[in-house]
Parts: sequence; structure tokens; C-alpha cells
Amino acid sequence: MALRLLSSRRRLGSIVLSYRSPLASLHSHATSFGFQQVKEEEKSKLVSNVFTNVASSYDIMNDVMSAGLHRLWKERLVGKLSPFAGMKHLDVAGGTGDVAFRIFDAVNSVKRRALRKVDEASIEETQIYVCDINPNMLNVGKQRAAERGLSDNRSLVWVEGDAEALSFDDDSMDGYTIAFGIRNVTHIEKALAEAYRVLKRGGRFLCLELSHVDIPVFKELYDLYSFQVIPNLGELIAGDRDSYQYLVESVRRFPPQERFAKMIGDAGFEKVEYENLVGGVVAIHSAIKL
Amino acid sequence: MVRISRVMLKEAGNAIDKTLSEILVCPLSKQPLRFCEKTKSLVSDTIGVSFPIKDGIPCLVPKDGKILDEDADASKAS
Repeated sequence: MALRLLSSRRRLGSIVLSYRSPLASLHSHATSFGFQQVKEEEKSKLVSNVFTNVASSYDIMNDVMSAGLHRLWKERLVGKLSPFAGMKHLDVAGGTGDVAFRIFDAVNSVKRRALRKVDEASIEETQIYVCDINPNMLNVGKQRAAERGLSDNRSLVWVEGDAEALSFDDDSMDGYTIAFGIRNVTHIEKALAEAYRVLKRGGRFLCLELSHVDIPVFKELYDLYSFQVIPNLGELIAGDRDSYQYLVESVRRFPPQERFAKMIGDAGFEKVEYENLVGGVVAIHSAIKL
Repeated sequence: MVRISRVMLKEAGNAIDKTLSEILVCPLSKQPLRFCEKTKSLVSDTIGVSFPIKDGIPCLVPKDGKILDEDADASKAS
């Protein structure tokens, strides 16, 4: 009981501090690699190494760590997006294609259910761009596309790029998603600014990310699971304990729901909302560019 | 079978390349890119940088860009 009081007081203190100096807290995200302190320039390289190492077991590890729940979370994300035929969508940090494939399926199944007269042209025009900074992740994604027979499909476009400096034109996208990616970006505010830039007016921003749990007891269990179980799973399945240690630490370092929502608003977005799933283990933040 | 798929990949690659240069912009200058047949890369004429395309995936991470002027000078010097 005393322990919980102590930790909540400490948390309150750090929240007060960070509200006083938002720049300092952003800076601290840019220089934190999990619980380690690193130079800003180094962070992206360290993160890149993590994903190069885990790329081949990324999907399996997701299934194991979340007991398959990540699939439901992604379904929910895509559901919120309400994809439509002919849309131009950008999925950032979407390397292995999980979200992109779901959007693709959603668009094409709408076609199947709708009147057959409906716009073959629109279906053709649908463009889903998958952008990831790590080529290994993209290659896994392309492979999965090939396994589904989608290698030649012109709707899926794989691009290697940086979330902080996107290679897409202003006001060009109907939708922007980033699932479990924004946590790894060095400068969150830059990624959000880029998201704002590439979206059209009326475009939707959706972010699915591991977030903060506040529920007593459940929080302690979740911490236990994160720090005791996950790195061991990482060692067992991916042969890489350190990367998964980074993963659980980076989740703790990422801004909590309310503060992240404020950052999204600061980037210019409106109607910023978030939905907690599994008590806050993940949160889907959504917003619109108006 | 391998030969056929390789040909298909190349054809698909060419089609994609053209589409790419129409849609993508330079991540640094946000200006349109030009697809260069010779080097099979996307060139940003505004700032004189070229971005490679590996396995049909354009690599538009800012630090992957190759400055073109340097290359021209290097070839002149040699």
C-alpha cells in the first residue's frame, strides 16, 4: 500500500514537472532508448537495429506476447478508419503489412458486397502506401503480400521512408495510420506534423499504440508481465532479449494517453479522441484534419 | 519458372517505378521526383539528390539520399 502511494506520488511529481516544461519532456523522449539515455542522433539507429533483429519473428512474437489480441486491436483500428474504395491511405511504420492488408481486404470486400455496377475504377484507384524506415520489415511485408498473391497488385505500394520526413505530397492522403510505431520515432512532434501535412482536409489520423495502465492491481500484474515475461519470450522465440527489453521500456517512456492527445492537438488536428483497450494496455488515438 | 517470375518481377518493377515517380515527392524538399532509367533511382532535381530503389522498394529515408553533384565531380576528377 505504501509502495503504491510512493509510486503514485512520484508519478504525480513527474507529471507536474513535465507540464511545466513540455519541451524538456519531448527532449527526453528523443534521448531515451527505453530506460537508457542516448544521444538524439543515435536513437534512430538503435531503433533500426532492434527491428532489423526482430523482423523475421515480429509477427509471431506479436501473437505470443498479446495472446493474439493484437489482431483484434488492429481490426478495431481499421474499423475506425472506415476504409472506402478509391481512398489513398498511408500506413506508417507498417512494415510487415498487418494494417495495410486489413485495409486492403476491407476495401475489396465492400466491393464484393456492393452492387456489381459499382465503380471498378474506384477500386483500381485505391492506393495503400506502406511506409517503414526499416527495409527488413518491408521485405517481410512484401513476402506476405506475395504469399497472398498480391505482389503485382497496384493498390499496395511499399516505400522505405522516415515518419519524420515523409516522401508524400501535402494534402494527398485520405487516411493515415501508425500502429505500434510512433513510440519508436525519435521526434514524435515531427511525425505528427508530417502526418498533418500529408493528410487532406477531412483526412483521418489514427494511432494504435501501447499505452499506460492506471487500474490498480491490474497495473502491477501488467508490469510484472512486461518486465518478467516478455524479455524471456523474446529470448526464447526471437533469440533476442535486449530488443524486447527495449520494447517494454519504451512503452513506459512514451507519453500517457492525455499528454499524447494534447500533442496531437498541438500538431493542428481537431476532434482528438482516444479509446483505451484492455484497461489502457493499448490506446487508439484518433483525430481529423479540418 | 524462376526465369519467368524474374521477368514478371522486372516488368512489374518498371510499371511501379513510373507510378512511384508520379506519386512520391522528395522527403527533404517535398518537390516531385524524377525516375532515372540509367541508375534506376528517383532523383530530386531541386536539391540534386538521388534515392535508390532496392527490390522494387524506393528508399526515401533522407540519409539514404546520394548527393549527385559529388558523384559528377568524382567522375571528372578520375
